[in-house]
Amino acid sequence: MDVTLTQGVLIALWAMISGLDCWLQAFFIFRPIIVCTVTGLILGDLQLGVIAGGLTELAFAGLTPAGGTQPPNTVLCGIMTVVIAATNKTAPATAIGLSLPFAMLMQYILLFFYSSFSLFLPKFDEYAAEGNTRAFKRLNFVPLTIVTLSFGIMAFLSAYAAQAPMKMLVNSMPHWLTHGFELAGGILPAVGFAMLLKVMLKGQYFAYLLLGFVMASMIPFSNVLPVALVGAVFAMIEFYRSRDQIKLEKQVKEVENQSQGGGMNDGI
Amino acid sequence: MASDDKDHEKNHKKSIFTNHEISMLGIRSNLVQASFSYERMHAPGWTWAQLPYWQKIYKDDPDGLKAVMTDNMEFINSSPPLYPILMGLLLTMEEGHVDRTTIKGLKNALFGPMAGIGDAIFWFTIMPIVGGISASIAKNGNVFGPILFFLVYLFLFWSRIPLAHLGYNLGTRAIDVIQENSRIISHVASILGLTVIGGLIASYVKMSLTIKVGAGNTVINLQKQLLDKIFPNILPFAFVFLLYWLLKKNVNPIWLIVVTFVLAIVMAAIGWM
Repeated sequence: MDVTLTQGVLIALWAMISGLDCWLQAFFIFRPIIVCTVTGLILGDLQLGVIAGGLTELAFAGLTPAGGTQPPNTVLCGIMTVVIAATNKTAPATAIGLSLPFAMLMQYILLFFYSSFSLFLPKFDEYAAEGNTRAFKRLNFVPLTIVTLSFGIMAFLSAYAAQAPMKMLVNSMPHWLTHGFELAGGILPAVGFAMLLKVMLKGQYFAYLLLGFVMASMIPFSNVLPVALVGAVFAMIEFYRSRDQIKLEKQVKEVENQSQGGGMNDGI
Repeated sequence: MASDDKDHEKNHKKSIFTNHEISMLGIRSNLVQASFSYERMHAPGWTWAQLPYWQKIYKDDPDGLKAVMTDNMEFINSSPPLYPILMGLLLTMEEGHVDRTTIKGLKNALFGPMAGIGDAIFWFTIMPIVGGISASIAKNGNVFGPILFFLVYLFLFWSRIPLAHLGYNLGTRAIDVIQENSRIISHVASILGLTVIGGLIASYVKMSLTIKVGAGNTVINLQKQLLDKIFPNILPFAFVFLLYWLLKKNVNPIWLIVVTFVLAIVMAAIGWM
């Protein structure tokens, strides 16, 4: 199938809404699972959107903007995964790999904004010093507009304008290459998990990582809820244990202070 | 109704803000990233979100308004979902006309630790759990997956309202609550988060060899007859730790994605996977 002009415009509109949300992080509709589903709906294949959403969400689990690195953009990745899968009849897992260049391009645009929006700061400072609240509010809409529009333009160009060359590229890809992209889509979550581990993993927590890994390997179950619940059990035990410990530490300190204070009083 | 009236009376005495206005502070806290830049991070959005409240406090004091706006244009970077607490807390102090340097000092002392707690809870615990579960439902084409994800995050969006009230009502008492519990909360969140990540590695990183190695007359399937006999999912686990090691060596995450793609394409080309 082809993306029609109406669909292209609708996709651009959706990219503007979810892109704005991606910038503000309010409703989290910028995550692939939502982006893909809505894009599927626009293209008239909800089922494909939902499946692609699940796969892309997993690939991006852990690829978070926390910890100082801006990951490939989830909005463009979600949209292009569904568009490529729908227009080329490729498997969604392969489409994730092919959509990644678009996601990285958007990532670099956002990084550019993060640096260049410093240019607005002198103006903000000026309005603050003047106590000019109206101008201050208005100025905030400029970066918001720039971000929203660039999401719309990027999505329209990628989904609508670039579909013919994309089709040619996909059709000319040999089987081993498409298979390679499919494999990469399955391995990609490892990158996110490694990034999470870099931030979270300390020696004392390795035991819990191992516990979760062994449990999920041994219990064939369709999701990680049982693992999460066992994790919650340990979290609860530790919560009460450390609370008691802190209480105890406080009491010991108080007793120490009292005996010291007492000694001083006696001296006086 | 009686208790409602009482609450209202109580709030009325100490506050120039209505309940609704404090709720709106929670909603407005979503604006903090509006003019994000590396130089001062959330500062302009943070100031914008709270402007109407300062305008009310400093209605007849233009210099006070200028001072509060200028002060808040300083660097601030914390966890967005926890901003309502910080805003509520600082608003009580602003309303009580606490000394400017005290407010500024407190703001600077709190946003760092709150960023740590917030990231541990929202990005590293809730995101992998909710994302993992709803994705595993969606993967099979079940539309309940995205719906579940949306509802959970809608709830988290809504939770900014009670958090704003919490910060505002606790006032300076919130400082003790935050400082006392921040260590425990991030400790507990790390335990839960890492257990889940361990599970996610086993469930969602898909790597298995398809190559068969001939040794004399017998043909051995490397994955089924060797690796799976040692431990299932040993390959994904090892690969995650290879990437982890690269990250510890300060390799840019973009390179990890490149490494992943090159590995996958090479494996596909030589027919090992």
